[in-house]
Amino acid sequence: MRKLLRVGLPKALIHYKFETMWKVFFQELGAEVIISSETTKKIRDLAVRSAPDEDCYSTKIYHGHILELKNQVDYLFIPRFGSRHKTDMGCPKFIALVDVLRSIYPDLPKLISPHLNVAKYGHNKIYFFKEVLKVGFIFTKNPFRIINAMRKALKADKLYKKKLIIDNDTLHKWERSEILLNKTPNEIPREKSLKIALVGHSYVINDNYCSLDIRKKLQEYDVDLITSEQMPRGLIDEQLDKLENRLYFEFEREILGTIMYFLENKTVDGIIQLMIFSCGPDSLAGELASIFAKRQKEVQLLQIVFDDLTAEAGMRTRIEAFIDMLKRRKEKTAYHIPTLRIT
Amino acid sequence: MIPNKPSKKIFQLGARYSPEFVCTPFKLTLGTFIESLERGATDLGMGGGCGYCRFRFYWQVQKFILEDLGYKCRWFTLDYENPKQIIQILKNVSCGYNTLQAIRAFQITWIRNRLTDLTDRMLYKYRAIEIEKGSSERVAEEVFDLIITTKKVNKIRNLKKTIPKIFEDRIEVDKKANPLKVVINGEIYVVLEPTLNLDIHKRLNEMGVITKTPITLRRFIDIGERFNPFKKMDFQKANAYGRKYVPYRVGGETQENLGDAVLYKKHGWDGLIHLYPFTCMPEIITRSIFPQVSREHDMPVLSLVVDEHTGETGFQTRLEAFIDLLSRRKEDNV
Repeated sequence: MRKLLRVGLPKALIHYKFETMWKVFFQELGAEVIISSETTKKIRDLAVRSAPDEDCYSTKIYHGHILELKNQVDYLFIPRFGSRHKTDMGCPKFIALVDVLRSIYPDLPKLISPHLNVAKYGHNKIYFFKEVLKVGFIFTKNPFRIINAMRKALKADKLYKKKLIIDNDTLHKWERSEILLNKTPNEIPREKSLKIALVGHSYVINDNYCSLDIRKKLQEYDVDLITSEQMPRGLIDEQLDKLENRLYFEFEREILGTIMYFLENKTVDGIIQLMIFSCGPDSLAGELASIFAKRQKEVQLLQIVFDDLTAEAGMRTRIEAFIDMLKRRKEKTAYHIPTLRIT
Repeated sequence: MIPNKPSKKIFQLGARYSPEFVCTPFKLTLGTFIESLERGATDLGMGGGCGYCRFRFYWQVQKFILEDLGYKCRWFTLDYENPKQIIQILKNVSCGYNTLQAIRAFQITWIRNRLTDLTDRMLYKYRAIEIEKGSSERVAEEVFDLIITTKKVNKIRNLKKTIPKIFEDRIEVDKKANPLKVVINGEIYVVLEPTLNLDIHKRLNEMGVITKTPITLRRFIDIGERFNPFKKMDFQKANAYGRKYVPYRVGGETQENLGDAVLYKKHGWDGLIHLYPFTCMPEIITRSIFPQVSREHDMPVLSLVVDEHTGETGFQTRLEAFIDLLSRRKEDNV
């Protein structure tokens, strides 16, 4: 039997948005998909040692994942993601990431890097289709197999998004504490739990090492969480339309949109924003978030900036202090029925 | 209203009210806005729209920061991907120009810009090899005045021939000098603004090094040359070389900067200095790939990061060390 070609997908940056799509696509083409492990200290050490020091922390982690994967695979998939929307862009780093990697590490395996930039290059569906075919022909000579793989991948992606992104009704149910969206140790939603929105890039809030296990820590405090990834897109766009200049960083929109929504509707007790040091979009959206949060007093915003030197102890202290403060504010404003009070 | 020349004080003023890790141009432009509002400005103009880097979104954040500081003003934004809107805005802020007059005013601007670029080139060359210190700068000031005050278009165009002659006639040069030649490129604002780059051209000229920068605002506004099929602007030539390393545009001047190292090595220049603001996204890409370009084409490259904490002494030391290295290379090769 012909040996399967191995394709490596580094588990960093926009992989968290497209994992289902890419995994299904390559598997349907008959390749063996190898995804790098969750970020570990070893990966982080590799990253910090060789990545350019001014890159944002998440890009350095990407380098680390590449270094871990490169000897295990025949191909690395590093797409040049420019934009998939008529005005909104990803981060410019994504487009040239493969060029930087090629320049710094001379011994990489073969690289697959299709380019997509709808906003600036005017790429349309036909162009996208051609790029998909180009990639597919590396694995099979049969164009129908490629088309089939693409269709299955897009379908799987749609299903994944449907499960992840909630609709308005579900959101309102969560706001009224009728349902839980993310696990807490006690599965039953309680009126007394603190409601917190955890916002940040998908590659930070889902990466336990980079975010210093913040989700686990919040679970220990019995916090009722919602993340920016889950928010309905319609509400996010509605909020961002209030800005005069469009926020054209696609992956930043869900972050700022979520913050603006909860600041306006006040249906959470606090918002925790995870920012990455030296992230371009984060610096601007974070500033706007901070300005808007100061203009009202009901919802508290905590912004934590992560880089390779962030210490766990310091972060734990800040989270504890924040949760304490939120609890005390809630008790002050809540209508007390002493018998239901749980300390 | 013309803003005052930026100074370190304005820079630090802007930095005080800026977000923690925003890029340097944001801080300096914010400082300039605050200073202009203090002097009585009522309308502020800035670039807007959607782009690769953060620049187009600056004004939205600066607007809220200035509001919180208590300033009231109107904003108008220029989106250079929307030329109709630009002409409309120019008409609105002018004193009753019609469309044709507005376009004409724009055209005269870019023609004058060609001449100021030419004057800069002459200055950076003559200041390095002049015998009487300060003579080149005096001549340059006079020429700038001449460019601004000349009214008729054909007289302005004639200046292209007379400016080099003025420099040649008026300035005595050291004929025995064999100066090093260094190109300065990088992020557009940092390269063009002396406050940000600590007047790097003057520093290098005083060390006897001829400098040049291919970076100019004309790549945006010189419609005449840009769409001229017979002429290739510098950045378009450099782009062709840069594309071998970064095949697709990532914003900023990434491809041009990489290509400049190849282009100027071909033209016999000795070295390249790459300036960029702290956390500039496209330029970090450029900086990461420069070692490879430098190695492959045997062109020394020095990458310098600039922000409000950049110290003059450290900056000067790095420049001197680089020039030392270049001199020794030149001696070894001769």
